[in-house]
Amino acid sequence: MTNSPALHLVGASTPTPVTEILGDLVAFPRLGATPYLASDADDLEMHLQRYGPRPAASGRHGGELIMRLHEIGLTGRGGGHFPAARKWEAVLAAGAGGTVVANGAEGEPASAKDAALLQTRPHLVLDGLVCAAEAVGAVECVVWLHEGAQRTRAIVARAIQERQTRRFAEPPIRIEVGPDRYLSGEATAVLRTLAGGPTLPQLARDPAAPWGRGNRPVLLHNAETLARTAVLARTHVSDYTPSSLVTVVSHDRRVVCEVGAETTVAQVVAALWRSPSGRAAEIPHAVLLGGYGGTWLPWSSAASLRLDPSSMREAGHSLGAGVIAPLPSDACGLAEVAALVGYLADSSARQCGPCLFGLAEVADLTAELAAGSMGRAQEKALDRLLGQIAGRGACRHPDGVIRMLSSALRTFASDVESHRSRHRCLATGTRSPKSRLLPIPETP
Amino acid sequence: MSPRMRVRSSEAPSTASHGSSVRLRVDPVACDGVGICAHIAADLLTVDSWGYPILPAEPLTRRELRAAKAAVAACPRRALFLDGH
Repeated sequence: MTNSPALHLVGASTPTPVTEILGDLVAFPRLGATPYLASDADDLEMHLQRYGPRPAASGRHGGELIMRLHEIGLTGRGGGHFPAARKWEAVLAAGAGGTVVANGAEGEPASAKDAALLQTRPHLVLDGLVCAAEAVGAVECVVWLHEGAQRTRAIVARAIQERQTRRFAEPPIRIEVGPDRYLSGEATAVLRTLAGGPTLPQLARDPAAPWGRGNRPVLLHNAETLARTAVLARTHVSDYTPSSLVTVVSHDRRVVCEVGAETTVAQVVAALWRSPSGRAAEIPHAVLLGGYGGTWLPWSSAASLRLDPSSMREAGHSLGAGVIAPLPSDACGLAEVAALVGYLADSSARQCGPCLFGLAEVADLTAELAAGSMGRAQEKALDRLLGQIAGRGACRHPDGVIRMLSSALRTFASDVESHRSRHRCLATGTRSPKSRLLPIPETP
Repeated sequence: MSPRMRVRSSEAPSTASHGSSVRLRVDPVACDGVGICAHIAADLLTVDSWGYPILPAEPLTRRELRAAKAAVAACPRRALFLDGH
């Protein structure tokens, strides 16, 4: 595993890392799915030694597992945090013969948690996948990945092979891949592909049955959600340790860490964030929480938040996909935001008018704001657009962009004013600050 | 720059007491912004600056339901639909 001393959680206020589903910290480059330090995936022997055999989840056992999912309140870790048990019940009610999908296509450029998990604990995710399939009476299992995730794909393929060689009594598992795009991991895009269509989001007319009328039911879960299910299947509810996988984003690397429910934003940032200045114990100015469709918060509001889905919900925020991206005090938040909005607008599936045209206009206006060239009329136009896009696409992509941008305008309010009226950036003191702290993939 | 998340006009009924539980919805993938709906049901919906319909979020009243049905029937892309009963 990762053995660089720099990667271990340090400091008196730092809690011990939790290792329920992830063995150790895993560090990734700024972009890309191959960790810096070669970490070995658990082979089947190692996995069985660590966790023991997978408990049965069919019939009565399946009902019990659903009860446990209810009791611990497990929510979807892809970012939506929909209660897992309710998804299982909807699929169960739709009848047997369906498909269960482990979604490992991490579209979020800043997140690396699913890659870290699938590359170190592939069998744990597969166990969760098979448990879910047994519980809802599904006949096949799919691991959904990005085309470009070659290392993850090779590791998962080897794990599937190991299980076949040992003749495990479980539904067949296969790997399916989608194009390397931001929205390829969007749930309805996966469903549409499995039904023979293109890898693009579609409107779920009935959100309780997103697979569409006449199609066989599909239960789709994020890889982390399934790994948690596999642990829960082996544990008494009272012994279950709630934890979350988070990705701490620095200018030159991303580090994935499993944290307990009591761990705060300040603790993981102190332990794992590297400021571009290289100064130790630097306090960031603000934090982007959840992902690129998440929420910007000033450091004063973010620092004491606990990295647990229900604590976050109670505080009026969301853990999203677990991304924590601190902004150093000498970097321009608006320049970062403009780069993000530009990338997200380019990542639109270009199917829905309000997303296609609306986000493009919003991106242009945000770029002008960051460059200090925004006038009154444009400010009004942006204000109007912010209320005209969310909720009007087939998927939640435009909603996330608007949420992220709106939170940025609140968090960086004084800098917005300075950029607009004095044409100068508060953080950098320059006229047109450059972004580029947050990783942004090339868009075609 | 406070975002106004609700765009709906203020004509919506405050209660559904003399209404239905039916909502007018659009499949935005199918919608091409043709705009016939806004002509047929001008009291019910508007279009944004790109020509795509902005629909009432609330359930329709009986009176609105009639106009909504006409708009659904006239949509050349079969994008508008009624949701609920």
